[in-house]
Amino acid sequence: MSSRAPSLMIVDDELHVRESLASWFTEDGYEVVTASSGKEALAILGRRHIDVVITDIKMPGMDGLELQRHIRNVDPDVVIILVTAYASVSTAVQALKEGAYDYLVKPFDPEELSHVVEKACEKIRLKEENVALKQRIAGISPEIVEGQSREMRRVLELVDSVAPTDTTVMVRGESGTGKELIARLIHAKSPRAFGPLVAVNCGALSEGVLESELFGHEKGSFTGATSRRKGKLELADGGTLFLDEIGEIPPKVQVELLRALEDHTITRVGGVQEIPVDFRVVCATNRDLEEAVREGTFRQDLYYRINVFQIDIPPLRERREDIMPIAEHFLKKFAAAMGRRVTGFSPEARELLMQYDWPGNVRELANAVERALVVCHEGEIKPEFLPIRPQGSASEPEPDDLSLQAVERRHILKVLELEDFNITHAAKRLGIDRVTLYNKMRKYGIERR
Amino acid sequence: MPGSWSVELVRVGAVLPSVLRDLREDLSRRLAHAVWISPREIDPAVAFDGRRQQYLATTLLQELLDIPIQEGVRRIGIAQVDLFLPVFTHVFGAAQLGGPTGIMSLHRLRPEFEGDRPDPVRTQQRVLKEVMHELGHTLGLVHCKVPWCAMGASRLPEQVDLKDAAFCEPCSLKIGVPSVGDQI
Repeated sequence: MSSRAPSLMIVDDELHVRESLASWFTEDGYEVVTASSGKEALAILGRRHIDVVITDIKMPGMDGLELQRHIRNVDPDVVIILVTAYASVSTAVQALKEGAYDYLVKPFDPEELSHVVEKACEKIRLKEENVALKQRIAGISPEIVEGQSREMRRVLELVDSVAPTDTTVMVRGESGTGKELIARLIHAKSPRAFGPLVAVNCGALSEGVLESELFGHEKGSFTGATSRRKGKLELADGGTLFLDEIGEIPPKVQVELLRALEDHTITRVGGVQEIPVDFRVVCATNRDLEEAVREGTFRQDLYYRINVFQIDIPPLRERREDIMPIAEHFLKKFAAAMGRRVTGFSPEARELLMQYDWPGNVRELANAVERALVVCHEGEIKPEFLPIRPQGSASEPEPDDLSLQAVERRHILKVLELEDFNITHAAKRLGIDRVTLYNKMRKYGIERR
Repeated sequence: MPGSWSVELVRVGAVLPSVLRDLREDLSRRLAHAVWISPREIDPAVAFDGRRQQYLATTLLQELLDIPIQEGVRRIGIAQVDLFLPVFTHVFGAAQLGGPTGIMSLHRLRPEFEGDRPDPVRTQQRVLKEVMHELGHTLGLVHCKVPWCAMGASRLPEQVDLKDAAFCEPCSLKIGVPSVGDQI
């Protein structure tokens, strides 16, 4: 309704009342139709949508209250305002009990009538906004829930129970499982949904940059700080702060973050003023934080502060029944965006998708489907269009080959796939240098993708 | 409404002639269209409702319409009686949307109606704004969301004070009158 004039229907058996109100509201910019009886009003409602119905109570044949009951059956969203020339408390109470938005006595004060109708239209607008918000939430969830596996249903139950609270949430899962989507879903389902959702990737920034990014800085606080800048914690005020890869935060920043979370205040870098902040925290990590605490690389007090409510997203290989629904979802989404007339996956392609372990999880699956659509313009997606190879093929060790070499090869391949074949990152995760990793890849016949 | 139109002001009952003369001057200056005072007058008694002690606006509109009217003339009745429409407790004025006639009343626009001290200048300003408002309706304009535009809806005299005696640019363009910017 926000982009169109609200539509009003005036129902009254008296011509002069219909004409007066119709001309009044037409002058106000409403789209107005009139009906001289309840029967005519229902006929109009059967043909077109009406936002607000203003109906007289006393009419020959079907009276206003009966009309209201019929309208409720046809379209429960219509706002109904009942009017009468004969004020009666019992009728007013009955009208409101049966769902009337308001009850007015003729003659109306023009100010009062306009006010009531404006409020009714505001109610409709808010309702439509609410529906739009729910659709936005629904737009986030399919990519997580398409599968409907027992494991993911459990994750969504946890989201539903924690979202309405202000509790800090820790989302854990392998790379590509959709941790950020879960954080967005928590935000969208929370009372803070109309506030900002501010995401920070803590692993992508160096200590100094991260500190300034989180807390902001005052002009001149360091070289290059040419102006005052608000940090992400300040920008998240009234909303949700999503700290991705929180396990990567350097120790100095951990101390400052803990203080901000405990005191709900921050101080910009180079500043002295304490600024109050109000945000809800959702963190994510694919690291074993307990291990990091034991090793002393992550502060125990911060760990306890952020690990209040934990949601673990299982990897795709542990919920294989989700693979095809998610693949079909992305197929539909990308085919529509790319204008492809693709009918679906061939049985062989399905088998390949189901058999593959998906170390990069949903992100890897989405990429695989997107890449397939780049080369496949119509018909079925066949295995050769997919950028994955059957596991356990002749060039690879058998899955039941548990020799140290076979296990090492599988592990290196898995880490490389997790890091999207970024040699530097994979070597770091494996705890070896890049040259050693290259040598091992050559030894095991692993090629860069 | 296409370019060629003029405004005829009709006295409805005991309205001071000076009110109509001031209106003619103000409107001529602001609209750049011909404005004149009709030699005909209308007696509001025909529209009197004894039960409500008010005057029915639609009856007076009909009276204004019953006087032969030339093509392109917009006829606005100026009254000093309390106007009403059957469904409303009162109205400041009424008009045929896109039609030739409109009517407005000083009655509730005078500060003394709400117990304040008489203020002829403020009353005249309010009357001018409401005449422009009803005239706008006869020229096909509906209520405007621009807060200061004469076509803004006013349910209270104080809301009339907040408007200008001018149309905003989009409304001016629709009816072919100078906008406030052109007048400066």
